[in-house]
Amino acid sequence: MEKKTTVAEKGAPLETVPEAGSMLRLPASAPLATRPIGVLVPEAGHQTPAVGQRAPRLDGRLHGLGQTKYIDDFYLPGMLYAKIKRAGIASARIISIDTKEAEAMPGVVAVVTGRDVPCNSFGPSLKDQPVLADTRVFHAGDGVAAVAAVTEQIATEALDKITVEYEPLTPVLDPLESLKLETPGLHAPNPNIYGHKVIKKGDVEKAFAESDHIFEGSYRTQMVEHVPLEPHATVATWDPNGRVTIYATLGRITLGRADVARTLGIPTSRVRIVATTVGGNFGGKNEITTEPVVALLSKKTGRPVKCTFTRAEEFASSTTRHPLIMDYKTGVTKDGRILARKIRLVLDGGAYCSWSETTLSKACILSAGPYNIENLYAEAFVVYTNKTMTGAMRGFGAPQVCFAYESHMDEIAAALNIDPLEIRLLNVFEEGSLSPTGQTLHSVVVKESLLRAARRFGWIEAQS
Amino acid sequence: MVTVTIKVNGETRTASVAPETTLLRLLRENFSLTGTKLGCDVGDCGACTVIVDGKPVNSCLMLAGQVDGRDVLTIEGLATIDRLHPIQKAFEDHASLQCGFCGPGIILSAKALIDENPAPTTQEIRDALGGNLCRCTGYTKMIEAIRVAARTLRDEVADQPA
Amino acid sequence: MKRRGRGMACMWYPIGFTVSANPSAAVVKVNEDGTATLLTGTVETGQGSLTVLAQITAQELGIATDDVHVVSADTDATPMDTGPIASRTTYVTGNAARLAAEKAKEILFEVAAPMLGVKPNQLEARDHKILVKGYPQRNVHIGDVANHARVVMGQPPIGSASFNPATVALDPETGQGKPFGTYVYATQIAEVDVDDETGEVEVIRVVASHDCGTAINPMLVEAQIEGGIAMGIGFALQEEILFDNAGRQINPNLTNYIVPTALDMPEIEVDIVDSHDPTGPFGAKGVGEPTLVPTAAAILNAIHNAVGVRITSLPATAEKVLAAINAKRGQQPKRIAAG
Repeated sequence: MEKKTTVAEKGAPLETVPEAGSMLRLPASAPLATRPIGVLVPEAGHQTPAVGQRAPRLDGRLHGLGQTKYIDDFYLPGMLYAKIKRAGIASARIISIDTKEAEAMPGVVAVVTGRDVPCNSFGPSLKDQPVLADTRVFHAGDGVAAVAAVTEQIATEALDKITVEYEPLTPVLDPLESLKLETPGLHAPNPNIYGHKVIKKGDVEKAFAESDHIFEGSYRTQMVEHVPLEPHATVATWDPNGRVTIYATLGRITLGRADVARTLGIPTSRVRIVATTVGGNFGGKNEITTEPVVALLSKKTGRPVKCTFTRAEEFASSTTRHPLIMDYKTGVTKDGRILARKIRLVLDGGAYCSWSETTLSKACILSAGPYNIENLYAEAFVVYTNKTMTGAMRGFGAPQVCFAYESHMDEIAAALNIDPLEIRLLNVFEEGSLSPTGQTLHSVVVKESLLRAARRFGWIEAQS
Repeated sequence: MVTVTIKVNGETRTASVAPETTLLRLLRENFSLTGTKLGCDVGDCGACTVIVDGKPVNSCLMLAGQVDGRDVLTIEGLATIDRLHPIQKAFEDHASLQCGFCGPGIILSAKALIDENPAPTTQEIRDALGGNLCRCTGYTKMIEAIRVAARTLRDEVADQPA
Repeated sequence: MKRRGRGMACMWYPIGFTVSANPSAAVVKVNEDGTATLLTGTVETGQGSLTVLAQITAQELGIATDDVHVVSADTDATPMDTGPIASRTTYVTGNAARLAAEKAKEILFEVAAPMLGVKPNQLEARDHKILVKGYPQRNVHIGDVANHARVVMGQPPIGSASFNPATVALDPETGQGKPFGTYVYATQIAEVDVDDETGEVEVIRVVASHDCGTAINPMLVEAQIEGGIAMGIGFALQEEILFDNAGRQINPNLTNYIVPTALDMPEIEVDIVDSHDPTGPFGAKGVGEPTLVPTAAAILNAIHNAVGVRITSLPATAEKVLAAINAKRGQQPKRIAAG
């Protein structure tokens, strides 16, 4: 049968390859690819000046050839594979963890639990997250034990042989319930409301009294996963000087090194973190997850260890976007000028703090929108719940509050019968405007962006 | 264990693997062809797309044993020593990939499309990429690049003496 | 039937951390042939940040992007960086890279000045040359200067620098202060079709006018905006992690957690607003996160414009939109179908 020859194949070098079953076999590690090393680098990047150029990406060629090395592509000789046992229960006390049966399985080399972690807590601001839960489970995605085995499949099977006895507790899932003071502290002694922020400017109540119209609106957003195409992965290996090298899907290697050193109880100088290229981050790979666990398994076994998240772990055991409950009240003049705005934000902070403090601050500061509002009261709370931890995700609360303030703006415009573009142009910042925190703003082009987008879209003609 | 003999990127390779081994694991772990990516392992994301006998498949859904005696093209087999495949070239020129993780699968889906339909419309390109998720790019610059690559390939065919 | 609507949303977004120090450091080494190496502790996570940093370094040294090799993402080899977070890389790491390149350039100028018979402050770097300002014909190739610096002067042209955005802490009572170094602005306008029988929303077109200060690489700015809009569409219409009563996720997989595919993407028109921030490297600010910020709001306003219902909780799934349409119909007196 004649095979269809593709363009790519036509230029391929001719080689005689032994058929299967013959005495000669290619070694399994032989690269099968021919690399276009003779091709010149693209022209555009040769030009000066460099700024303003549509220069091709430095990594574009490697990406297209499938030659970019991500962490899961690493293989070190003698490497073991790790898997993490997940709690699967949202709130519980851990009575006991029995790993004996798993340890006895053929192919299992080591098992660790939270008791093996020298300092079993971490977090970018509050250190409220255990590396492996040892006394208390705060959400269903918590890890409770980890296995290193000669294959990934054996490691996965070994998880079922680990028995954890729990005393189940009633999970708190509703952030508004958590906000109530009578709700028992999830993270005692930390209060449920673990972050609070206020921005105050002018006199809101007085300005509401002077307003021609008052508008109120409530908005809610959902929990969202980052969905990087590359799942989290870690490879750890120790050298005989007591130094660990961790190849990790980590955006913030400087912070990661400090967290790994702290949790392992070793000097920072004994930790090396290499990140190569991260296969999608969006905020979800900004802090450590299982790096200390993999490092401990590697130390215990004396062999390199790799751990790659399943897609389910990617959802349940990494951070997510904060759901927000947002209440807005705005006082305006009859021609649409905003005089006062009062905002309350409640952030579902999930099981651990992670990047909640940053998200809380940014959401609160940005919540009034890019508008000149002399009288403002914005208050934001972040509370613990027994849900997947919420953390950094592209925009840190800004997409949520923008949905609220821009929906609210359109509601006001519609009620006053003003065009959405006009009401925005009337209220937006200009060069030198004061932000809600009293900062003098520079290089402000929000008006330009409104007008340019409206022209490009045909909004202005469409209205007339 | 089962013995699997396949033609990968033009070369015949044999491996002895556990029967549950997928084509994806065979390529990555036995043949060190790590350009094929594991994104979900259940056929949702398309990062593991390879071409088997001319058709794009999710290699995580195919057992290695099912591929015995068949012809597999991975991303490593697309370029030659002295030139990029026009799809790879167009992706580079248009900055079509960002983190790059979905790239091998997307490029192979695009190749399978163009092999079958040398002049795809934008809608046909969207359809062909429907099984490949990308979280970085919004697909826009990929679609542009695939149109350009299809044109390049058509021009090459037209330039060839009959 | 399908009803078309349009909606807009504008936004502001800060660059860098809220008040907290978030420095980046960088090292630039000029090689003996006039190419350079940049060491940075940031990590490429897909945005093209290393390309942008190479462009900034190249610009400062008057060489080309391709002349700069970037070493990154290794805590042993690269200087500290707060990392690819808070849309800070172009602005903060970019400033650090520019300052490090400037320091290396100062060494080159000191070495080149006697070669050209002028003072260092009379020199500039451009087109791979160190030249006398106003007298471009009096020049020497940057590689010759770098080599001379090394083998004759014994002074290798290596610069290191760091940058941290200037902020002022917020008053705990009033929240007044200067939390960020700079902000970017944007407007997106979405056009949608809403099927009033199924509630299904299709985003037809998005016009996105974004400020990023100077666009160091307009192609990569467009790429960020297109990708952000995709993520915004998912946020607006499709994505939601669901929980059962016991607090366990119901849909932790890509079968039931729906992210946008190529078939969900609208026509996107990117517009980069002319802007220059004197505090950024060559006037640049940033663009990563803000690209997604206004998308959902614009789409939801467009849905309201199309069918007159306001969805106040995301995502606006077909079920939710249809329920709102039906509720609105329920409130209106029934009309007898005209013949």
